[in-house]
Amino acid sequence: MTVLTEEKPKVGGKYIEALRARFGNLILDESWQAPDQVTVTVPLNSLPDVVEMLYYQQGGWLATVVANDERPLNGQFAIYYVLSVEGLGDDSETGGKVYVAVHAQIPPHQPEFPSVTPKVPAAVWYEREVRDMFGLQPVGLPDERRLVLPDDWPDNLHPLRKDSMDYRYRPEPTTEDENYDFINVEGEGIVQVPLGPLHMTSDEPGHFRLYVDGEYIVDADYRLFYVHRGMEKLAESRLNYDQVTFLADRICGICGYAHNVAYSNSVERALGIEVPARAQFIRTILLEVERLHSHLLNLGLACHFVGFDTGFMQFFRVREKAMKMAEMLTGSRKTYGVNLIGGVRRDILKEQRTTTLQLLKELRAQATTLVNMFLETPNIVQRTQNIGRLEPQVARDYSPVGPTLRGSGFARDIRVLHPYCAYDRVPWKVVSKDGCDILSRTLIRAEEFFESVSMVERCLDEMPEGPVLTEGFAYQPYKFALGYVEAPRGEDIHWSMLGDNQKIYRWKCRASSYNNWPALRYMLRGNTISDAPLIVASIDPCYSCTERVTVVDVRKKKATIVPYKEMERYCIERKGSPLK
Amino acid sequence: MLKLIKEVLRVGEATLPYPFEPIEQMPGFRGKPHHDPEQCIACAACAIACPPNALNITTDLDQGFQTWSLFMGRCIYCGRCEEVCPTGAITLSPDFELAVMNKQDLYERADYKLASCRICGTYFAPIKEIEYAAALLRQSGMSADALADTLSLLEVCPECKRKNDVPKMVSLFQKEGSDVQR
Repeated sequence: MTVLTEEKPKVGGKYIEALRARFGNLILDESWQAPDQVTVTVPLNSLPDVVEMLYYQQGGWLATVVANDERPLNGQFAIYYVLSVEGLGDDSETGGKVYVAVHAQIPPHQPEFPSVTPKVPAAVWYEREVRDMFGLQPVGLPDERRLVLPDDWPDNLHPLRKDSMDYRYRPEPTTEDENYDFINVEGEGIVQVPLGPLHMTSDEPGHFRLYVDGEYIVDADYRLFYVHRGMEKLAESRLNYDQVTFLADRICGICGYAHNVAYSNSVERALGIEVPARAQFIRTILLEVERLHSHLLNLGLACHFVGFDTGFMQFFRVREKAMKMAEMLTGSRKTYGVNLIGGVRRDILKEQRTTTLQLLKELRAQATTLVNMFLETPNIVQRTQNIGRLEPQVARDYSPVGPTLRGSGFARDIRVLHPYCAYDRVPWKVVSKDGCDILSRTLIRAEEFFESVSMVERCLDEMPEGPVLTEGFAYQPYKFALGYVEAPRGEDIHWSMLGDNQKIYRWKCRASSYNNWPALRYMLRGNTISDAPLIVASIDPCYSCTERVTVVDVRKKKATIVPYKEMERYCIERKGSPLK
Repeated sequence: MLKLIKEVLRVGEATLPYPFEPIEQMPGFRGKPHHDPEQCIACAACAIACPPNALNITTDLDQGFQTWSLFMGRCIYCGRCEEVCPTGAITLSPDFELAVMNKQDLYERADYKLASCRICGTYFAPIKEIEYAAALLRQSGMSADALADTLSLLEVCPECKRKNDVPKMVSLFQKEGSDVQR
C-alpha cells in the first residue's frame, strides 16, 4: 500500500489524528487512496471500538462493509468498515469530510471477527452478508440468520472465497422446506406459517411478515435476496474492467447509471486516472436525467397507493419526456451503456443540447402543475402526514440514505459531502425536511426533481469543450478505492480492488436500498396495516412487487397469508380489511 | 379537482397507437446489431469485447471453419462490437422489435473458411483475415523485398513460425557473432 497523492492536500486528517490520540499504537497503518479516502489498519479486536468512535463521536455514517479474500496476496482474510466521517457540531463545518476504511486482517485458521453491530446497529446486514459469502463468523452478532444465501444453500459453501466454487456452479438444494426463522415478537408464541412457492414470474420478490395487534403493526420482519444474481462473483470471474461497467448498469432497472458511475469512479480513483472535464459534465447530466425519471416514477406510485390513479397516469405521461431525453442522450431508454473506465462513449452534440433544453422546459412546466395538483388532493396529506415515521435517532443508528434520511432532518447528500463528477461546479441546494414521515420524503423528491432540472440546464450551459475519454493507461494490480454516487434513492457505494489478470479482484457494490431496508421495520411499527404498502413505497425500494404478506395477530396468535394484491387494494380503498 | 379535470382535458389522449402504427426512435438509438457477412473477416474482436457473450466465435480445426454467431437472447445493445470492429461489419440498427415464435430464430451465424499452413497444412486463421492483413501490408509503404518476405510469413501457422524462428535466430547469432552476448 502506497500513498498515491502526496502532493494533493488531504481532507479530514484531523479525524485520523484523533483516532491516533485515542488508540495510539493500535493504529497499525494508514494509507491514502485519494485526498479524501484513507484506509487505517487496526488489530482485529479493536475493530468495534474504532468503528464506534468514528461513527458516534466523529459523525460517521456507515457507507459499506467489504470483506475480501486476500489469502492469495498475504495469507489473510480482510474486512473493511467504510465510514463517511463528517464531524459533529462545529467540526462538521470545518473538519472536512473523509471516507475512512477501518481495515483488519482475519486469520484463515480462525475465521471470525468481533461483531460491530452491538455498538453500531447499522452494520447488521453487512455482517450477515459477510458470514454468508465468506464464512467469516461475526462473534456477538445478535442476528445470526442468513441474509443473502438461500435457505437451501449448502452450509459450508461460501461463494466469494477464491477457492470455493466456479461462478457457474449451482449446488443441489439441501432441503425441500423453506426454513427461514422469522422473528418472534416479545416472546409470544406465534405460529410460523410455511409459505407457498414464490412466483418466479414476479420480477422482484420479497416476503414480508407483519405482526399485528388488531389493525396496528407491532413489528415487521422481511426476507429479501430471493433474486440475488451473484454479480460480484461474475465480475471477478469472467469480465474485464470495461465489461463490468455494462454489468454495473444492470444492478438496477432505474438507477443503473448511478451504479455504473460509482464503479467507474472507484477504478479511476484507484489508478489516479484523470477523467476529462467534459466527460464529468456529461456524467452529471445523465445522473440527473436518471433522477428526473426516477423521482417522477416514485411520485406516480405515491399517487397510486393513495388511490389517486389519475395522478399516477399523469406523472407517468410526463415521465415519458425524461425517458425520451435518456433515449436521445444515451441511445437507450434507460441510461445504459455510456461509461467506460476513463470517461464516456458518447458526446452531447449541439442538436441534442437544444432538444434537451426544450424537453426540460416542458418537464418543469408540466411537473409543476402536477405536483401542485398532487398536494391539493385532500387525501394525500391525510394519508402521508405523520405516517411511517423514521425517528431521527433510528436514522442515526442505521445509516439510511437518500430522501429517506433527508426526510428525517439530516441534510446529508454526498453530492455535496464528497463532490464527484461536476457537482461542485454548478450551483444547487440540498433538500431536507424535518417531518420524518412519508409526506416529507415525497416532498423532498418533488423538490429534488426541480433542482435536477436546473442542474441539467446549468451543466449543458457550462460544459467545457474537449475530449470525453481518457485512454492509454495501464492497470496496476491490487490498487483499490471507493466510488460513490448519490442515486435517486440515496448513495450507491462501490469498492473495487484491481487484479493482476485484467479482471477485478474484488468488487463490492452496495445499492442505496440496502441501507434503507433495516430501518424500515421501525417505520412500520405503530402504523395500521393499510398504510404498509405506502410506507414501503416511501423508501422507494429498489424493487416493486412484495409478493405476499403474512399477517400475524399477536393477540389471537393467528397467522393469515394475504396476497400482495389484496394488501395493495386495501391500502387504496381502505375498506374490507383482509383480516376479517 | 376541477384543475385536474381541466389538465386531463387539455392533454387529451397521450397513448400512442403503437403497434398499429410505427413508433419513432430518437436518432442514435441502439437496437439490434446488423452484421454484414461480406465485410466481416471473422477476426473475433467483437466476440472478445461483447460483455454478455451474445457474440461468439467457434473454430472447427478439422473441417477448417470458423463460425461467427450472435444470440439475440443475450444482447444488451451496448454497441461495443460496433466500436471494436476493424472493418465496419457490425453496426447497430434502430430495429427493436425482436420477438420471435421460435427460439432458434434468435440465432444468427456465418461460417468462414480457414487457411491452411503452407508448411504443415493445419488450419490456423480465417482466409479473409489473412487477406485483410495482406491488404494492410501492401498499403503500408514497405519496400518490395520486405513486403514479399512478410507476405510469405502470413501463410505460415504460428507453430511453424516458432519452429522456423530457431534456425533463423541461430544464423543471426552466427552472422553477428561477437556483438551478441549469450
